[in-house]
Amino acid sequence: MNLCAILLLLAFTTPGWGKEPEAFPDLNLADGQALKEASRVLEEEVKLAARSQTYVLIDLATKIIHIKGRGMDLHQIPIISWASNSHDHLKGIHKLTMRPAVVRRKIEPGAATEQEPIAVDDMPVDYVLTFTPALTITVVPSASADSLLKGVVFLGKAWWRQTRSLAGTLFSDQSSKQGGQLQLTVSGDHAQSLAWSLVDGMAVVIRRASNP
Amino acid sequence: MGRIVLAAFAVILITVLVMNAPTTTSPTSGTSREVQQPRVEEKASLRMLQAKYKTLSKQLAQLMPNQPYILVDTARNRLYVKRQDEIVLDAIASTGSGTILDKPGEGNDQWIFDTPRGEFLVQSKITNPTWIKPDWAFVEEGLDLPKNSAERAEPGVLGDYALGFGKGYFIHGTLYTRLLGKNVTHGCIRLNDNDLKGVYKLARVGTPIMIF
Repeated sequence: MNLCAILLLLAFTTPGWGKEPEAFPDLNLADGQALKEASRVLEEEVKLAARSQTYVLIDLATKIIHIKGRGMDLHQIPIISWASNSHDHLKGIHKLTMRPAVVRRKIEPGAATEQEPIAVDDMPVDYVLTFTPALTITVVPSASADSLLKGVVFLGKAWWRQTRSLAGTLFSDQSSKQGGQLQLTVSGDHAQSLAWSLVDGMAVVIRRASNP
Repeated sequence: MGRIVLAAFAVILITVLVMNAPTTTSPTSGTSREVQQPRVEEKASLRMLQAKYKTLSKQLAQLMPNQPYILVDTARNRLYVKRQDEIVLDAIASTGSGTILDKPGEGNDQWIFDTPRGEFLVQSKITNPTWIKPDWAFVEEGLDLPKNSAERAEPGVLGDYALGFGKGYFIHGTLYTRLLGKNVTHGCIRLNDNDLKGVYKLARVGTPIMIF
């Protein structure tokens, strides 16, 4: 009897004991909209975590990209900033069409010298990911994290992307077929790390936030 | 006549008073009920949202492995054995080189030497493994494929233990410990002798392996 009382007392007084799992520790439980969004994401995540696969959760509220498996965080990539054209298109589970391309070195049979392996540094820092259902995620490196020259190149590329996007909107119905568009700015290293971790057909779910 | 008129007036007055009684006696209570009702509904709705969020959080937590699992970071060439958030073992590994090799006489078919990403299970635990050299090992060296399968056996190159996780992929030892921490393998995961022994002891057939 006394032992039971002590165990009960310990259970209620020891921090962490009997603590319920919190999928999103940042979540304000008094915010109905945020709760709805978190639950929507969790519903998608439970489906993904039930299967033997790794998947990506892009959390725009906390600005973190999570590589996950079975609901566990395997790796995190911080987002510096993000922008999106439409919130509605970001809902649901999206499957990556193709991972970012990398130049693979070919082994020459019988050659005396071994081919250089590919490494994270070989991955692109600036790339576009397309998904089904229609969603486009543009990953760009932050100019501040790179050298001045890289910054100029980045700005040029950004200008070119915007011009192309504007032209597409004006002269074709391409934009409506593209669905949602999300731009993620991450550091150059993290952009390469993300490109490395992605695989063809990988599922992505996005937790939306009201403000970038 | 005067009495009759007075009586009729009294009846009308009493009737009017009785009919108006509920609205006139508590005008404020009716107003306050109108104000409070949405608040109560909002609170109930918020409680429902909180309950749904907590249920989904629990569901997700239940999908996480409650036994130790192996986590492999192919970008940084690290292998961890984890028990929930606790790191039980941290090892430097070698993973796939990402190079390619043409398959002889099969059109454009190629071998791609990547470590597969995703979730796998330990399917076999072997002591003193012998490497059964696959076709690519001969092609890479510019040799003809052996006609006798015994010529494929090469003992003593995989270390003391091997843990198979499907399609010919293993976690095993290496003679080339100086290459640990680099992407140099044909897809298998190499460890040094001590770490391999530790992983072998901690893992069982069925232990999850998460690779990203």
